[in-house]
Amino acid sequence: MLFSSITFLFLFLPVVLAVYYLVPWKVKNIALLIASLFFYAWGEPVYVVLMVLSILLNYFCARDIKENENEPVKAKFNVVFAVAVNLFILGFFKYYGFLLDTINAVFSTEIAYRELPLPVGISFYTFQAISYIVDIYRGKAQPQKNILYFALYISMFPQLIAGPIVRYEDIEAQLKHRRLSLQRLGQGAMYFIIGLAKKTVIANSVGAVFEQISEMPAGSLSVLTAWLGAFSYAFQIYFDFSGYSDMAVGLGKMFGFEFKKNFDYPYISKSVTEFWRRWHISLSTWFREYVYIPLGGNRCSVSRNIFNLMVVWVLTGMWHGAAWNFIAWGVYYGVILVMEKYVWGASLDMLPNPMRHIYTGIMVLVGWVLFFSPSLGYALRYLGAMIGGGTGIVDNQGAFLLFGHWLLYLLAVLGSSSLGMRLVNAVPRMARSARAQAAVSVVIYMGIFVISVAFLVTDTFNPFLYFRF
Amino acid sequence: MTKERFAKGGIIKYVVLVLIVIFIVILMLYTSGSSKPFEEIRQSVASVLDKSNLKEKDEASFKRNTGLNAADYSGVMYYASESNLSAEEVLLIRVRSGSQIQEVRETLEARIDSCISDFDGYVPEEVKLLEEAVLNVRGNYIFFAVAPKAEEYLEAFRNSL
Repeated sequence: MLFSSITFLFLFLPVVLAVYYLVPWKVKNIALLIASLFFYAWGEPVYVVLMVLSILLNYFCARDIKENENEPVKAKFNVVFAVAVNLFILGFFKYYGFLLDTINAVFSTEIAYRELPLPVGISFYTFQAISYIVDIYRGKAQPQKNILYFALYISMFPQLIAGPIVRYEDIEAQLKHRRLSLQRLGQGAMYFIIGLAKKTVIANSVGAVFEQISEMPAGSLSVLTAWLGAFSYAFQIYFDFSGYSDMAVGLGKMFGFEFKKNFDYPYISKSVTEFWRRWHISLSTWFREYVYIPLGGNRCSVSRNIFNLMVVWVLTGMWHGAAWNFIAWGVYYGVILVMEKYVWGASLDMLPNPMRHIYTGIMVLVGWVLFFSPSLGYALRYLGAMIGGGTGIVDNQGAFLLFGHWLLYLLAVLGSSSLGMRLVNAVPRMARSARAQAAVSVVIYMGIFVISVAFLVTDTFNPFLYFRF
Repeated sequence: MTKERFAKGGIIKYVVLVLIVIFIVILMLYTSGSSKPFEEIRQSVASVLDKSNLKEKDEASFKRNTGLNAADYSGVMYYASESNLSAEEVLLIRVRSGSQIQEVRETLEARIDSCISDFDGYVPEEVKLLEEAVLNVRGNYIFFAVAPKAEEYLEAFRNSL
C-alpha cells in the first residue's frame, strides 16, 4: 500500500488511527503491529512470511548474543551467524539474478534462472535488523524480551518500506514509553501533508518531464534538454524520497514515535561531503556506524582510510540496486569524497559560496545521470549530450519543456531550500492572535492536502522510486 | 532453567534458518518467474491461443482498455476480441519491478468487475467467462486471461517459464 493512495489516506490511516487511540496503552503496540503486517501484506502477502521469519531469527539470535556475553567466542559466533543470515536473505533476493546475468555476460553462457520479485522494503528492514543485532553485541541496547515489541520495531508501517532506517538504540525506549497528544498528532499531520505534497505535486510532475526526456535517445538531446532532464530527475528523486521520509516522520509522530530526520536540504550543500551529510542521513549513519568505523574509520593511515571510504561507497552503490551503474555511482562518490578529503577540499573551502554551490550541483547531477541510466553506455552518451555531444545547444523540445513548466521548477527550487517552508509558515504569523495563527495554519495545510489529493486522483500510478531499493 | 530456555533459543535460530531456506525453495518452485527473454515467453503463449476470436492489439488499445501504459513495463502482449459483445482477452505483462505487480493486479481486478457490470443482464455467458478469469503472477510476469480456454493458456504460460 502506498502512502500516496486513496485507500491509505481515506481508509487505512483513519481506521488505524481511530483504533490506536481508542485501545488501552497495553495493546497499542499490538494494534500497530497488526496494522503494519496488514499494510505490508496488502501488496505482497507472500513476503510477510519472510519478514516474520526474519523477525524470529533476529529475536532469538539477539537473545543468544546476550546470554553468551561473557563468552566472547560464542557471542561473536552468534553475531556473525545472525549478520550472515540477514545478508544471505538480502543477497539472495537482491543480487542472485545480477550475479547470474554477470556470469552470462562474462562467459557468454545462457544460464536461465527463476526470477523472484524483490520483496518491498527488504533493504531497509534487513539493515534495521542488523543494527539491532550489532547494538546488542556492543552492549548499546538490551535485547527486547517481548517478541511483539521487537516485531513492531522491524515492521512498523510508517518506516517499513522506504525508511528512514531506524536504529534500535534510538527507538528502544519509545517502544515501551511514548507520549500521545493532540499537539503531536497535529504536528505529525503537518509533516505528512508536506510530504504528500512533495510527492504528488512536485515529484510526480517533474518525474513526468524526466520520463519524456529519458524516452528520447541520449545522443539526440540538446544541451538544454539533457540538463533539464538531469535537473528533473534530481528534483524528482529528492521530492519523492524526502516526501516519503516526511510522511514517515509525520506518521511516526501521530503514533507517538520520534524518528530522526532523513533529509536536511541536501541541494544547498557547498561540497559533496556536505551533501552526503544531508541526503538519506539514516543510510549514511548506518554505514558509518556498522561498516566505516569497524573498518577503522579515519583513525588509520591515509591508504587504509581511502580503502575504508571506497568499501563504504561501493557497498552504498550496491545497496541501491543490483546493477553495474549503481556500483559505478558508488565508486564515483567514493572517489569524489576521497578527493575532497585529501586533494581539493582545502581549495574548495577558499572558493566563494556561489562557486562551491555550482561545483556541488554539477557533481551531484553527474551522479544522478549514472544513477538513472539503464547502462553505463547510456550514461556516457547522456553526459556527452550535456556537454554538447548531442544535437546542439538548444532545441524546441527543451525550450518547450522548460517554459511550459517554469512554475513547477520555481516551486522545486524553493522547496529544495528552507525558503519554501519559511514561506508556508510565514503566512500564519501575519495573524495577530495565536488562535488566528492556528486557524490560518489549518486552512493552509488543508488547502495543501486538497491540492495534493487532486493531483493524486488525476495522476496515473506512481510508486515511490525508493521502493525498488 | 534459564540456561535451558536459552539453549532452546539457540536451537530455534537454526530451525528458523531451515524454515527460511524451505520458504525460499517453495517460492522458487511455485511463484518464481523466468529470466528468459519476454519474446520467448510471448511466443510460447501466443502459439496456443485460439485466434478465431482474439486479435493482437497495439499499445493504444491496451491503454484504452486497461488504463495501463505499455511503456511502463518491459514487455506487453495483449490479445482481445474484435467484438463488443465478447469479453475475451489475454494479457501477458513483464513488469520492471515488483512494486508494479500490485498496480497491475488491482487494475485487472477492477477491469473484471467493470466488465461484469457491463455485460451483466444481457450476455450471461460472457459474465461467466469473466467470473472464471485467470490472473496469475509468476516472478515479474503477470498473466491474465478471460477465455473459454483460459486454463489451457495458463498452463502454456507456466510451462513456458
